[in-house]
Order: sequence, then C-alpha cells, then structure tokens
Amino acid sequence: MSYHEKKTVLSMVTGLAVLAAYCLHAFGRLGSGILSPDDGRAWAQAMLLFTGIGVVAAIVGQIGLAIATAVLLAARRKLRDPDCADKAVEREVSSEMADDEMSKLIELKALQAGFAVAGAGIIASLAVLALGFPVAAMLNVLFLSLGAGSLLEGGVQLLLWRRGVKHG
Amino acid sequence: MAERKTIINRIRELRFFAGEMSQQQLADRAGVSRQTIVAIEGNKYSPSLELAFRIADAFSVKIGEVFEYVNKGEEGHE
Repeated sequence: MSYHEKKTVLSMVTGLAVLAAYCLHAFGRLGSGILSPDDGRAWAQAMLLFTGIGVVAAIVGQIGLAIATAVLLAARRKLRDPDCADKAVEREVSSEMADDEMSKLIELKALQAGFAVAGAGIIASLAVLALGFPVAAMLNVLFLSLGAGSLLEGGVQLLLWRRGVKHG
Repeated sequence: MAERKTIINRIRELRFFAGEMSQQQLADRAGVSRQTIVAIEGNKYSPSLELAFRIADAFSVKIGEVFEYVNKGEEGHE
C-alpha cells in the first residue's frame, strides 16, 4: 500500500471514528432527554465540537503518518544499500510522498463524488425542514451527509489508486 | 463514429535498454512518484503531454518512441 493510500485510509478511519463518536454522544443525550430535538443551538454546538475534534485528529494523524513513513522508507533504503548517500535517501522519500499530477487528478475526481453526496445532503436537509421535521433532524441530515461525502471521497480515492484513472 | 483508440507505451522495454533503469530512477528523472510510473507503465494512467515529454527525455528518445496511439484490441500487436 502506497503512502497516498495509507493517508486516505487514515483519513477515512479518523472520519468514521469521529462520526461514530458524535452519534454515540449526541443520540445518547437525545435518548436520555438531555438534548431536545428543537434545541438547534445545542445540536450545532455538538457538531462544531466534533468537527473540531475531527480536524485536530486528522492533522495529528497525518503528521504522525508522514513521520513514520519517512523514517521507515529511509531505514529500508539504508538496509538495502548501506553505502547510499543521504541525498539519495531524501530523494526517494520525497518522491514516494510527493503529490504529482496523478495524485491531484485522483483527488479532484474523488472530490467531485464527495461534493455530489454533500450537495444531495444539503438539499435533503432543506427538504426535511420544509416537511416540518424538527431543526435537529435538518442539522443531522446536513452533518451526516457531509461526513458521508468525506468517506465516499476517500473510498473513490482508494478505488482510483487501485484501478487507475483516465482524463476526462 | 470515431474508432475507439487507446494509448500504449514502451516504458518497460525502454527501461530495460537503459541498463534496467528502475521505476524509482525514472520517477526521479521525470519528477513524479514511483506509483505514477507504475500506473503509466501498466496503462492505468495516461500522463499529461508535459509528463510524456519528460519521460521521453529521461530515455533521450522522441515521444513517439515511448507512447503510441492505437486501436483498442491492437495493444499487444507490435
């Protein structure tokens, strides 16, 4: 599995964990009566809190993965060829981890899929509100569709890394 | 209706004739990741024109000697 694929898997796992934690927290509080379906402010605060946790977790995870990958690649190269120059090791590590035109195309195509789900979620959330459901339902449809869009984006990226990608 | 065509390449062969140049070496020369070279070599990704020129330049050959535009189904006929 390449560095880009590992990065995508980590991002998906982090996103899934944060979504699961949010669901446990928010719907647990709803079940016990602490959160009211009409208290939009409290739901929005919970969503903002978990969004923040997700962003921090994603950044920490990506930094950790980048460091671990660089160390492992360098160690593997040094084991294979103990006399190789540090510059060569550095070049191999940066080549493996760098973004190039293929990775950018894959990110773009995956982003389109993610946006499609998030966009459908926005429309669905408005429909939920228009149909007379409480504001909590509207906010949850919106929040969960953004999460689902992000997960789909990761899934499409993994698929394209494996299957290949064509222009157009 | 236009014929269905596809881009094929001779990167593996050219690497062999370049003293069994590794995919990593070619990636370094072309300025992309090894994974992108693997994908191009396996016909899973068609490079941009600029990258195609950079790959040809890495082998010191013309672009037409690396990439060919052929009818689908003729990929294996050389």
